[in-house]
Amino acid sequence: MLPSSAPLHEALGLGGFNFDNTRRNQVLGAQGVAAPRVKKTGTTIVGVVYKDGVVLGADTRATEGETVCDKNCEKIHYIADNIWCCGAGTSADTEATTQLVSSQIELHRLATGKAPRTITALTMLKRKLFQYQGNISAALVLGGFDCNGPSLYTVYPHGSTDSLPYVTMGSGSLAAMAVFEAEYKDAMSVEEAKALVQAAIMSGINNDLGSGGSVDMLVINKDGNTVLRNVVRPNERKFRKAGGYSFPKGTAKVLTQTFTPLSSLPIDVTTTRSPAAMEVG
Amino acid sequence: MSSFAGRELLNPANVMEASYDAGTTLQQDNGLNFLGKEVDTGTTIMAVQYDGGVIVGADSRVSTGVYISNRASDKITAVDDRIYCCRSGSAADTQAVSDYVRYFLDQHRMEYGQPPKVATAANLFQMLCYQNKNMLTAGIIVAGWDKEKGGQVFALPIGGALMEREYATGGSGSTYIYGFCDAFFKPGMTKQQCEDFVTKGLCHAMARDGSSGGIIRMAIIDESGVERKFIAGDKLPYGPL
Amino acid sequence: MSCTEPLRLSAAPKAGVRGPHERRFNPYDHNGGTVLAVAGTNFAIVAGDTRMSSGFNILSRNQSKLLQLTATTVLATGGFRGDVSTLQKLLKAKLVEYEHKHGEPMKVHAIAQMLANTLYGRRFFPYYTWNILSGMDENGVGCVYSYDPVGNYERVRVNVTGSGEPLIQPLLDNQFERQHQQLASKPPPLSVGQDLAEATAIVKDAFYSAGERDIYTGDTMEVCVITKDGVKLESFELNVD
Repeated sequence: MLPSSAPLHEALGLGGFNFDNTRRNQVLGAQGVAAPRVKKTGTTIVGVVYKDGVVLGADTRATEGETVCDKNCEKIHYIADNIWCCGAGTSADTEATTQLVSSQIELHRLATGKAPRTITALTMLKRKLFQYQGNISAALVLGGFDCNGPSLYTVYPHGSTDSLPYVTMGSGSLAAMAVFEAEYKDAMSVEEAKALVQAAIMSGINNDLGSGGSVDMLVINKDGNTVLRNVVRPNERKFRKAGGYSFPKGTAKVLTQTFTPLSSLPIDVTTTRSPAAMEVG
Repeated sequence: MSSFAGRELLNPANVMEASYDAGTTLQQDNGLNFLGKEVDTGTTIMAVQYDGGVIVGADSRVSTGVYISNRASDKITAVDDRIYCCRSGSAADTQAVSDYVRYFLDQHRMEYGQPPKVATAANLFQMLCYQNKNMLTAGIIVAGWDKEKGGQVFALPIGGALMEREYATGGSGSTYIYGFCDAFFKPGMTKQQCEDFVTKGLCHAMARDGSSGGIIRMAIIDESGVERKFIAGDKLPYGPL
Repeated sequence: MSCTEPLRLSAAPKAGVRGPHERRFNPYDHNGGTVLAVAGTNFAIVAGDTRMSSGFNILSRNQSKLLQLTATTVLATGGFRGDVSTLQKLLKAKLVEYEHKHGEPMKVHAIAQMLANTLYGRRFFPYYTWNILSGMDENGVGCVYSYDPVGNYERVRVNVTGSGEPLIQPLLDNQFERQHQQLASKPPPLSVGQDLAEATAIVKDAFYSAGERDIYTGDTMEVCVITKDGVKLESFELNVD
């Protein structure tokens, strides 16, 4: 039975962050226990405004310290059909933050019956990040096309935002910005913009150790969006040992064996039901 | 309610950051530090009032450590039709504060039935900046025009003091031009004289302060409305007045 | 915030901002990369990548970590490039001096001891280097000596060190040392059981795998094959990202 006084989401422990173990972890930290390493997207993400819309770009490397933990991850997140967001920083933070805003935007669209605007997504993102004072490590490039035309923003983890015709973010942002500062032109065609974004991402992939893998791009304009996943794959493995590695059966020593017949397991359907399960009638 | 003091003690990010540093060989100075460093508008901002209006000006540089994250930003933010603020300090903090003030002024205008006074806007800024002073790094100049008192300038340095001035400067670059302002500010300057004073002052601050630079943006506010101007980075009037 | 809470004058705790800490000059850097050596029954393989990095930056894509010391010995060194260069220069001088004094080049076991002495001489301000020495012993068997930065050394069948070590070591243990293969025959006492072609293929595979997952290993791999006839060097392209 749920306590009737508490709201449902509180009783179930849902909603918001849980800080239960913060003090314990602090004590453990002081004793020299290392905190777990989080997956970070040491990243190159970029965006550019062109004649009819925006082009977003990202590399596909995710790292844990000095190790690559995903060679082909997706860093261009969906907010709405006409609004997308590239994320750098802690993967969990960029994923959770963009998903949350995506849900809020969809509810807002249903409530108002109007196509969502980029500035609305921007305001939701910056409020969320400012509320958490930089502790949510999400550095974002937000691009969209709405009734006011194309727009492009950067959002920093502390909640500040910039609006510019060409932007870069992540550890490879300097390498990518060098390309933009040299090559950007006003009112480019979509082909010119895509070539420029690809060159900027390649600059990050090649010159920043936190970035790597392939190039992802996305075009947004009045006709909708075009996802261009892995448009270039310059870093496929070049060598593999012929024959691979094979081991005869019995290579690993079997130390113990136990056998539990399925019929011997106690199964009680009534007690495994969750208290939140839907009831009919 | 958890207090600010409790938050500092229980800040989970500090626990993570401390042990992350201890257990890694990564150089924290060139890599993922874009996540930790706050975006700071190391800035020069200025505002001067003249008979009938007010001129505000700012450089356009926004830095994250040694990297210029925006070289053409607009630090002159409208909070009402004829009330503007110049922002210095943390970009996130000043954007949040001016968003709140704009929201409160919109409400106030509906209840009040006419455009808000500059002093009202300045008081709202002061309330937010003083009451949350231990959370904020915000140095703001509020300037605008209202029909009661014409052009007005309010300085609101970090900490939350509020002072009405004939002119005000702010940001890291302002320290370089105290002498310039003392020497060349005269009460009762014309609009054109004020504009020259602002551009010249900003230009000299931008030349000496490493965290100020780019272009000069200005807003000239009077009864007729607002005129926005900018001076390109290669057209700055550096040199004697 | 309730009034009974203690007031604090410090600034808000923001991510990435820590309390006061001492700044000191750090004489070391870690320039990344991986080196590896395998001793065969009548050959030895020494390999290394050519990426030199600092933090998240690539300083060079073609900086060799291998140095041929005599006709049949090669030294592979990772760590801080400044110390690597100094150590290599010192060893070359000592080898010339030895040859002048004794009328013949130094043998590999003598070089091994000399390197250990050189490293231990800097016990309290070490050369920040990880060394693997490889050559042919007096019986024509390939030999590999592994070191720590302060001169502890031993003769081994196979060794890897540097940024790719945690990724490559298990592969070497399993394939060359035959660990966890209860049906496989144990390797000879001082060398591995594989022939040159098979051993080279495993070494190449190890580097290509490390290049996929270790951000500091990449660009090019150099493979030195040492036999009684001398040293043959080959290069292969790794990924550049």
